[in-house]
Amino acid sequence: MNSDYNTERPLVMHIDLNSCFATVEQQARPLLRGRPIAIVNRRTENTAIITASYEAKKYGVKVGMRFKEAKLLVPDIIVIETDPAKYRFVYHKMMDMMKTYSSHVTMKSIDEGVIDFKHATEQVRSRDLRDIGMEIKQRMRDEIGVAMRCNVGISTNRFLAKTAAGLHKPDGLDIITHENLRATLATMKLTDLTGIAKQNEHRLNAVGIDTPLQFLDTSVEILHKMVFKSICGDEWYQRLRGYEVDDRVFDLKTVGRQYVLESPHLSSEKIQQRLHHLSESVGAKLRSQNKVARGVLVYAKTYERKYWHARRMCEMPFFSNQAIYAQASQLFAAAPAHIREIGVSCYELGDDIDPQLNLFGDRIASEKKLVQAMDELNGRYGDRTIHVADTLGTGAYVKQKIPFGSTRYL
Amino acid sequence: MNDETLLNERIEVITVFGEGLNPCRPIRFRRPNGREIEVTEIGLRHPTVQGKRTIHIFDVTNGGADYRLEFDSERLTWHLTREADHYE
Repeated sequence: MNSDYNTERPLVMHIDLNSCFATVEQQARPLLRGRPIAIVNRRTENTAIITASYEAKKYGVKVGMRFKEAKLLVPDIIVIETDPAKYRFVYHKMMDMMKTYSSHVTMKSIDEGVIDFKHATEQVRSRDLRDIGMEIKQRMRDEIGVAMRCNVGISTNRFLAKTAAGLHKPDGLDIITHENLRATLATMKLTDLTGIAKQNEHRLNAVGIDTPLQFLDTSVEILHKMVFKSICGDEWYQRLRGYEVDDRVFDLKTVGRQYVLESPHLSSEKIQQRLHHLSESVGAKLRSQNKVARGVLVYAKTYERKYWHARRMCEMPFFSNQAIYAQASQLFAAAPAHIREIGVSCYELGDDIDPQLNLFGDRIASEKKLVQAMDELNGRYGDRTIHVADTLGTGAYVKQKIPFGSTRYL
Repeated sequence: MNDETLLNERIEVITVFGEGLNPCRPIRFRRPNGREIEVTEIGLRHPTVQGKRTIHIFDVTNGGADYRLEFDSERLTWHLTREADHYE
């Protein structure tokens, strides 16, 4: 048995809002409290549930389940459409609160974040982190609302702190140290570990690793050479022992948006309009990050569960909605029939270009001025104040939704 | 399901400006049909922006239904934009 665990004082705290969107809706609308509710992006029978309240989860309602399936389990379930502005507000309140303890706060997504107390002041570090965790829970109730609950996990690295935050939901507070690491992992399955889904589970099973404890006891050589066949094996070895390997920021690689068509009977012209709307949205996201792109990818998923995609790389970087749509539209001409979902993304991103350094500088500079003027108008008077006439009727369908997985656009 | 009605009614609101979690507290409002509603709890107040205009959204209840009130901080107007008496 290996025992080279990290024995340092646990100074990483993971905070996770419980069933975030459902909890925020229950906070905002008091009559929803104590009731089974499901949050969806669009109120249709086939829509997928993106969050369910604990009252609904109790009856087996899960994230990703179709709404009509959830209704069979809980006939009186209440369905609520997402309200991104509300969740964004709570996200910023939560982030501001966390930043009062340390300058090193990383928001992992719209509903979870990490405080690294290694960078906190001596005064804060001298406090018991359990007390700070309880204080944050109370501040959530005082500064946002009485229905707010969160899970707090404390450990020596981000991975174990997140694991600790998932141990007792809702409203738990747990600490994982080198002393209780084995006892904690003994209660878990491999897929309970963040980062171990079906594929990684198969990899581990293939070499006889069936439990987190066996995973912990496997040598770094086996993890590197036989299981992950890369540096990922070394990282898992460190991660499981409480050493930090996840304190890093990834560069933005792609910017994209997808949309599930509201009806199976849309004409190809209407589908193209929705593609145009997505291209405008992707262009705005790209420019908000001061990036330009060189590649465009479009995809479609059909009702027959087929996936189709096409991509193109350009020599010249681009940034305008018009340029993105021109390419997306051409690529999309080869898309199959019976489309259920479409998506557009830009890749091969680079930093904003200086038009003076380019042979076609004048053309780029004038396009840039026009795009900047349009962005400024939309910034001053509201999103989609000015847009192409082609997408005039699409706004009611292709609404702005919650950006999962990234906090760049919050 | 969810009996939610989307509205756009200009309303008159009695508001208290004070301290605490909600320094601006709507306590009673009158709808165009003359019906008066007393706010018993503010669930959440959050700002949204329409361009450079800030609209403050108040999710409130009178104990029988939930209401969404919107205060336009530039035009100083109140609107009732949703009524929801979910649930049976």
